[in-house]
Amino acid sequence: MDSDTIDGRLVDAEAGLIDRRIFADQDIFDQEIKQVFGKSWLFVGHESQIPNKGDFFTSQAGRDAVVVTRDSEGEVRVMLNMCTHRGMPVCRYDKGNAKRFTCPYHGWTFANTGDLTGLPLSSEGYGGQLDRKKWGLIQARVTLYYGSIWATFDENVPPFEETLGDMALMLRDFMQGPDGEDDGLEVIDGILKFEIHSNWKFGAENNAGDLYHDVSHNSVQRVGLALSGLRGRHVWAADKHKFRTLNVAYPAGGHAARVNLYDDEQREYHPQWAIVPEVDDYFRAAHYARQERLGEKARLLNRGGIIFPNIAYNSAGRWQITMWVPRAPNRTEVWKWYFVPKNAPQKVKDTLRHYLLRYGGPSGMVEQDDIENWASAQVGAETAAGNRLPMNYTLHMGQAQWAWPEPWLGEGAYVDEGVSEHAQRVFYGHWAQKMDAQAGEQEAGQ
Amino acid sequence: MSSASTIDTANLGGEDAVAVPTLKERVEDFLSYECELLDERRFDEWLELFTEDARYWMPLARNVEHNNLGAEYSREQQDAAWFDEDKKTLLQRVMQLKGGDHWAEEPFSRTSHITTNTRIQEASETELTVSSRFIVYVNRREGEVRLFVGKRIDVLRPAGATFQIAKRSIFLDQSKLLFKNLTTFF
Repeated sequence: MDSDTIDGRLVDAEAGLIDRRIFADQDIFDQEIKQVFGKSWLFVGHESQIPNKGDFFTSQAGRDAVVVTRDSEGEVRVMLNMCTHRGMPVCRYDKGNAKRFTCPYHGWTFANTGDLTGLPLSSEGYGGQLDRKKWGLIQARVTLYYGSIWATFDENVPPFEETLGDMALMLRDFMQGPDGEDDGLEVIDGILKFEIHSNWKFGAENNAGDLYHDVSHNSVQRVGLALSGLRGRHVWAADKHKFRTLNVAYPAGGHAARVNLYDDEQREYHPQWAIVPEVDDYFRAAHYARQERLGEKARLLNRGGIIFPNIAYNSAGRWQITMWVPRAPNRTEVWKWYFVPKNAPQKVKDTLRHYLLRYGGPSGMVEQDDIENWASAQVGAETAAGNRLPMNYTLHMGQAQWAWPEPWLGEGAYVDEGVSEHAQRVFYGHWAQKMDAQAGEQEAGQ
Repeated sequence: MSSASTIDTANLGGEDAVAVPTLKERVEDFLSYECELLDERRFDEWLELFTEDARYWMPLARNVEHNNLGAEYSREQQDAAWFDEDKKTLLQRVMQLKGGDHWAEEPFSRTSHITTNTRIQEASETELTVSSRFIVYVNRREGEVRLFVGKRIDVLRPAGATFQIAKRSIFLDQSKLLFKNLTTFF
């Protein structure tokens, strides 16, 4: 494969056809690391993980390990977890509090600002001449967005909010508490990390808006997981007000959300946590507070979505962020952050935590079956004869409309209603654009 | 429910040949019997081994500094965990497993649960605290192998000639889960 462009025939998003090799080919994967992950803003964590000066945690910016600190001045830093001397990780802990990080190899020491403060044999070995400014930890550009922390090591990527575009409506909404208060979430301590033998894009595209895969979740629907007292896994299913199911994609950035758009702005609360009355009381009050705060936009129930390339979020009672770390074409490390509304009573936080833990991840009664699917889809991506046929993403083609049905979804919103692969087509369309180096440069030059 | 400790030993050569099992032997036998139920997918019978108020908890492990080992595992009833269950939610998981439509375990994986290093840490009239190590081998479909190793701490209550599990804490020796799913019980 040519090293700086991809064959346009690999992805024909307009026709809903995608070559299986994009999930299995090493060259394509290598180019993804450079063009997609190297040139995107990437989520690395949440401010509630580092409330105090000196707090830190380690994370991933794509395949690059980073250390995220709140430095001695209180500023959030995202730095490559790599000693600038020999490349060792300078931090080998998942989290903690530290003024400095010392490399175990030769003792180069970096402040939590990234500055190189300790240099053994500074005078004798380097004549006191080593430019410490230049040899500090490599710093990422950082954007804080309603509590979430985003980073990129690329100097030319447009500002975060520009790449987010009109998807800002959805991400901001996700980061709100159920009462519509901005920056309303906090992380439950403990990040789940696990490994799937599948390409990272299977999880990403599923979360973009696959409303077609109900059969996957037969078992949990049958048993019941929601705390509404009804069968099924979603608490919002207990809300019986009339709504439209929308796949809201934002092609400019490759983002997408799956939402319910209720007909009425002012709706009575329908109990969604009836099994735990104290929790239901909280959500009832939050429901009315949100309507008060958001007005017309309270018609939106933001169920989940993706921020291109590798972040999925789920909300509507199951606040979580899932990050796909690409390790190899057929190997993905998955990180999962669970959130609760930070101002909620402890009983609410506890109940949500239990619901989340039973919903997502390798022990989740819902996501176990998703994970099995993604790993199994990889088998198909690696067949030889299977390449006779591309992957089929033609479900509900040609029906999407711009800035519809409400203009406040944004001019950049490209929306399809119901069960559709619209959002996946948009995701892969944007992916193909990023992968084409020439097109990517034009985009950056605009 | 029956386990080896309740089998009539009279026909095996009398009391001289088979000594009355010690408490530790009875506990070991109980834990082995439990493994057998899981490996034979007798999930309903396995569930009966738990008390009505049982708790089942597997925290996350983190890599922390040597002087901060208290933070190595996520906190019970407070932080995220791999499992944080009561008997009702264990029942839900059993119901999910048995339906034939839980694709992550359809067909069932083959498992071998091995328990060893059993030690009775505390014993009273009503409760025993037992620590042990486990090795759980899982073979899913053809080539998929998962190997889980770690420590368990069980609180057991006497129940007739045998025991019931009032609390199980499972400490897996992995921070990042090296496998895709946790579809087996520990």
